[in-house]
Amino acid sequence: MDSFNIYQLNENAVTIEFGKVISEDRLQTITAFNHKLQQHPFPGFVASVPAYCTLTVHFDYLQVSRWVPQKVKCFEKVNNYLTELYGTLTNVNISYNKPAIEIPVCYNAEFGTDIDTVSQITGIPVDEVIKIHTSKIYMVHMIGFIPGFAYLGGMDKRLNVPRKAKVNTAVPAGAVGIAGEQTGIYPFKTPGGWQIIGCTPIEMFDINRAQSSYLKAGDRIKFKSVIKQEFEQYSRQ
Amino acid sequence: MGRRQHLADAVPVSGAMDTVSARIANITLGNDSNCAVVELTYSGAVFFAETNLMISYAGEGSVLTVNGETLPKNKPVFIPEGNYIEQKPSGTGCRVYLAIAGGWDVPVVLGSRSTYLPAAFGGREGRSLQGGDTLESLNERSVITDKIFAALQSSSVKYPSWQVSSLNDYRKRSKDIRVVPGRESNRFNGESLSGFFTEAYTVSVDSNRMGINLIGMVLNRLNNTEMLSTAVTPGTIQVTNSGTAVILMADCQTTGGYPRIAQLASVDLAICGQLVPGDKIYFSQITWIEAEKLYMHQEEHLYKAALAIKHKYLY
Repeated sequence: MDSFNIYQLNENAVTIEFGKVISEDRLQTITAFNHKLQQHPFPGFVASVPAYCTLTVHFDYLQVSRWVPQKVKCFEKVNNYLTELYGTLTNVNISYNKPAIEIPVCYNAEFGTDIDTVSQITGIPVDEVIKIHTSKIYMVHMIGFIPGFAYLGGMDKRLNVPRKAKVNTAVPAGAVGIAGEQTGIYPFKTPGGWQIIGCTPIEMFDINRAQSSYLKAGDRIKFKSVIKQEFEQYSRQ
Repeated sequence: MGRRQHLADAVPVSGAMDTVSARIANITLGNDSNCAVVELTYSGAVFFAETNLMISYAGEGSVLTVNGETLPKNKPVFIPEGNYIEQKPSGTGCRVYLAIAGGWDVPVVLGSRSTYLPAAFGGREGRSLQGGDTLESLNERSVITDKIFAALQSSSVKYPSWQVSSLNDYRKRSKDIRVVPGRESNRFNGESLSGFFTEAYTVSVDSNRMGINLIGMVLNRLNNTEMLSTAVTPGTIQVTNSGTAVILMADCQTTGGYPRIAQLASVDLAICGQLVPGDKIYFSQITWIEAEKLYMHQEEHLYKAALAIKHKYLY
């Protein structure tokens, strides 16, 4: 089992640290434990937030303070609950067992405004850039930065390009970007500095969905190249 | 107040910057403390009462007036239809909260009525209020709200003699912002750490609802190893690579990758919600045990205030 270390973030939240290095196994453990916690929430539980090596658990201080024995600190109570729950964790491979989520992307230069630049920097032809980007399975390590933005791990090192020198003030919703060894999808129109290689018609963030973010930590995804007509069909659905 | 249920989707907490004032405004009307309030930053807003209204407001930096008469804060105020309510600058601080009997009628989005401007949702169509907007209150009022309204209804502006005390002396408290050392506080050198707790920090002009940037002693790290992004909350004090401290506020991102030198005691987050550029603040170090005692004290104060109003009007 991974190391399991809890510290207090504020009066209403604790963070569990599962070691200090990013790895897929660690992501599996965090995802599995998060799943377990969602199924067995404690009275006063509000939300749990996965990040690379941590899971932060938010709660209602007043509710937890009412647990018996009342004299024990809230932090101790939550700490004990989480530690005990972690001890019961057996199956940590839940997301490995799920199929990868397919994300359609149109890589046309019209949408992938920087794909030619990426091709020039890497010396890889555009067709090959698309082939490399769509051949990998990516892990969602966490959702952060802005609502619905997934930090994806597993990008091919050949596509390692620097951020743009000048931040684009309005990257469109659905834009697929790459920078360094990272790739990601902009959920809505926002400023951004990544090289844009395509666009997905999928609404990555939608306030009208029960799960507003299309992706969640622990998901596995795969990009699929689609032509403009298919992109437009998706958009109309 | 705010929304914490969707943090895992990177949806920020949002909500009032000074939650204590926002809650007091609701409490004095017999509202649930989750009722929507209008956050008025600085001054200059003008409202026209199209019907008889019962409002309450709390906070710092401005006052509301009707016909040149300043309306008292922290208590319900009856305003007959046809009057203009004007916001005028007054004293230090920058935000007041306007509550109405029953709460403002804006839709619940992702479990909260709070506005989040960057992604344009919550509140009034995900945007700031504009001239010409019509705001209405919800129809469902609590029994207490109805009783207070009945007691105040009149042909002129009317309010009771009682009020809920502010709890926070903003000017005094900003000289002593209480924090607990953060998870990465040991990444800073001794001089920087002691400077952080003794030197004045000035609020920078580029501060906003996401964060308060501080100008002051540069905070140097013992080493520059990057850390992995992890959860941050309103009240987390991060230090950027240039050594500048930033207090994360209501609209802050849900994760961050800068070392966290300290975390505000929750009770002092409301104080920081009133800071204006140029304000000088000082930090002092306390423990989580002390921070939790302060938090309980605050919650008791607000609970007792709500209870006292209930007893006054219900029995």
